[in-house]
Amino acid sequence: MENYVIEMRNITKIFPGVVANDDITLELKQGEIHALLGENGAGKSTLMSVLFGLYQPESGEIYKNGEKVTIKGPNDANRLGIGMVHQHYKLVDIFSVLDNIILGAETTKHGFLRKKEAREKVIALSEKYKLHVDVDALIEDITVGMQQRVEILKMLYRDNEILIFDEPTAVLTPQEIEELMETMRGFKEEGKSILFITHKLNEIMAVADRCTVLRKGKGIGTVNIKDTSIEELSEMMVGRKVSFVVEKQPEKIGRTILRVEDLTVASKKHKNNAIKNISFDVKSGEIVCLAGIEGNGQTEFVQALTGLEKVASGKIELNNQDITHASIRKRSKLGMSHIPEDRHKYGLILDFRLEQNLVLQRYWEPKFQKHGFIDNQSVREYAEELIEKYDVRSGEGAVTIVRSMSGGNQQKAIIAREIDRNPDLLVAFQPTRGLDVGAIEYIHKQLVGQRDEGKAVLLISLELDEVMNVSDRILVMYEGEIVGEFDPKEVTTQELGLYMAGAKRDRREKPNG
Amino acid sequence: MAKTLDKVKSFFKSIGRWFKSLVCTIDGREAKLLTIYHKPATKSIISSLISIFVGILLGGLILLIISITSGGKISLKAVWEGFRLIFIGVFNTGRDTNGNITFGFNSTNIGNVLFRATPLILTGLSVAVAFKTGLFNIGAPGQYLMGTAVTFIVALSIPTTIVPAWIVWILSFVAGFLAGALWGVIPGVFKAFLNVHEVITCIMTNWIAANIVTSLFDNNKGIFKHLLDPSPTKNLAYLYKTTENGVVTSKMGLDVLFPGSQVNGGIIIAIVIAIIVYIILNKTTFGYELKACGSNRHAAKYAGINEKRSIILSMAIAGGLAGMSAALYYLSGNTEFYWSTYQSLPANGFNGIPIALLAYNNPVGVIFSGIFMSYLNVAGLQLKNLTPFNEYITDIIIASIVYLSAFSLAFKEILNGNFFKRKKNKLFLENSQENSTKPKIIKEEESK
Repeated sequence: MENYVIEMRNITKIFPGVVANDDITLELKQGEIHALLGENGAGKSTLMSVLFGLYQPESGEIYKNGEKVTIKGPNDANRLGIGMVHQHYKLVDIFSVLDNIILGAETTKHGFLRKKEAREKVIALSEKYKLHVDVDALIEDITVGMQQRVEILKMLYRDNEILIFDEPTAVLTPQEIEELMETMRGFKEEGKSILFITHKLNEIMAVADRCTVLRKGKGIGTVNIKDTSIEELSEMMVGRKVSFVVEKQPEKIGRTILRVEDLTVASKKHKNNAIKNISFDVKSGEIVCLAGIEGNGQTEFVQALTGLEKVASGKIELNNQDITHASIRKRSKLGMSHIPEDRHKYGLILDFRLEQNLVLQRYWEPKFQKHGFIDNQSVREYAEELIEKYDVRSGEGAVTIVRSMSGGNQQKAIIAREIDRNPDLLVAFQPTRGLDVGAIEYIHKQLVGQRDEGKAVLLISLELDEVMNVSDRILVMYEGEIVGEFDPKEVTTQELGLYMAGAKRDRREKPNG
Repeated sequence: MAKTLDKVKSFFKSIGRWFKSLVCTIDGREAKLLTIYHKPATKSIISSLISIFVGILLGGLILLIISITSGGKISLKAVWEGFRLIFIGVFNTGRDTNGNITFGFNSTNIGNVLFRATPLILTGLSVAVAFKTGLFNIGAPGQYLMGTAVTFIVALSIPTTIVPAWIVWILSFVAGFLAGALWGVIPGVFKAFLNVHEVITCIMTNWIAANIVTSLFDNNKGIFKHLLDPSPTKNLAYLYKTTENGVVTSKMGLDVLFPGSQVNGGIIIAIVIAIIVYIILNKTTFGYELKACGSNRHAAKYAGINEKRSIILSMAIAGGLAGMSAALYYLSGNTEFYWSTYQSLPANGFNGIPIALLAYNNPVGVIFSGIFMSYLNVAGLQLKNLTPFNEYITDIIIASIVYLSAFSLAFKEILNGNFFKRKKNKLFLENSQENSTKPKIIKEEESK
């Protein structure tokens, strides 16, 4: 019988209509990095929220050092030495770093804060673990990476021995990820135990000792990382074999489809322009990827490109026609398809039937209407054809209300709709965000298929793996500018990371021809 | 002969099969009645009926409380009579010689129900159309008032001695529609271009309309004062009636069907309009655009739909429907308009909101909920005439039904079975615990 610092035995947590955790057992050893792996919706975050006291399980027990404990809230968890870095940081934006760290664990004397002691403790911790933070800066002014370090310091300040990291790498650059891994290894050597939630397999292989895999709310098993491989882990996670290599033939580049010249777009959030004088073109038969960390102008750029927002200055040409100020409908007619960033806000009308969503840009075409009356028969036939062709799964087929469909199938429906319009240019913004490995594989195949048919594809992605695997040409965007152009076969992720973080930039010439 | 006999036989067989398929599961296909039950529309209807039923029960309870607190002045018999009147008051035929309330076909009451339903259906449609496009048209009273004013101006200023009365009727009806539409466009424009919430602009335009209309028909300085009949007897009350110019809606034969009532062709026009609105919303590309905007404005924009145009057009239609409501009400010939009445806002406008809610914004449903509201109104009059209670009881019932129609979503959830999901999950949990204990027992046996 081994000694576990934390044991969660037979945890079951039910939400109305969903069994989020079904009889899951998790054992955490003293001084190990234990990964918790699973697809989206597999129940990882729920299980951690149970451990952190945010949810009460319907059944199951939690033991600390062999003693049964009940955790009714974050304060109980803290008392037991459990700390958590949430996926979305829980920080007060207008407070300083120091205030955020001591919030909830303030040292006081006669009701007055004793910030000086706290300050010394925070600085000592930050030096000891090489977690550089500016204690007096406001949260809203510091980078995402530093915000994460603040979250980690919060746990250390409370002397937590068990540290939970919920998808900590999603918003970091490759360099920051490497630093985080180093910090985690340091904690481990100190004897702290770490629970590391992620769906990125290479990070698990790099840093974890053991890994527990969840699938659809059930515990699939726990493996030693030494004895396993990425392939085995992914099979456990998805339930079948997954191919990670996107198979591509050499590109056959043709004529210019999209040309962007000196494009400037105003920002809604601040006075500076979100996009500053960017120029590039996309030719038929290639996938151009716009890489960058979230919030560097990608959203504004795509909204300007697709007509959702106005352009401040510059020019956009599609198939040699000026579309800078064209309506969305006109752009769509000229051959632009758009897989939007936020599929619930822009991509779908959730309370409409699937068939109605599949003709969202085409209901006015002669094929689907006569004298202003929608031809339900041909809409139904078209929808059923798409459902069959693109394998969109839903409860009731064409008449399913889209809200009731799974995220992956909602995205498949959008992709079916956009690709089947036979566009010359496909703009895909984060098409795989939040999807599981199987759906990602499918979507990558569709993108490459478009390219092989001689279409131009503009992929906007925050995932480095996707950038490296799918694209033929990489443009790195930093603070609204394009700071580098690369061939994915010649560049390393480390190099890309430096450009994405703004540490390096090339002087680009305008594309000619 | 034999062939025709076979045909007849197979015809009856197929009818038999059809009836069987209603209630039985055949070839793995569930019974048709069950399929109908599982349709969302059926559940909407049933849940609306539940809220109506509970509302009426509540009304009965109020009657009982009044009786108990009256100190014996109101007998339990009166309560029972009142309760029955609320349910089927429209079908009462007075009291017989023994003093018991009798029930039967009452053409006056039924006709009056249809007459009063006409404006309610149209304002209900007005609110429902706006709801479908994601807008809350609380401006129906103002649009109704503008419709009233312009209908009267047109109907009374074109002399029927020169222009045939039926042409004047059409002109006034269209004018009422356009006036309402224009009044609806104002909040629409503010919403589309400046993103000002339509509820705020609607409330403001309501009161602007009330004051404009009052000043136009004021008995001292009103610009349209001259439209009144100059004869001093009629002039005293300052009542405006379209009949003074001989402009009246055709009865369309309904007066034969319901003698002694105020019913006229307006109800037929209202029903036709409701069906047209249903077709526009559900069968046309235009309706698709409106609903797309209402359901998700961002996605509509993404799809290339001009969402500003849709918002303005939807408010124009909503306003136009409220304007037509006023036009049909005042062109009926039974109604008169007193200028100072509208220093307050017309109830017909506001009643559109509960009617639309009760019908889940379905235009065809609005026909029924509109008729139901006027049914309760007429029942309230019977209550007042035949029992010690007053007609305001029915207002309380209407209010509680409206309140409950918000709950009808909860009723719908119950019908969908979602409401009791938690309990089901608990059952599931018990099962899963049983399953998890089984392997342990096996292990114990192995170790032995």
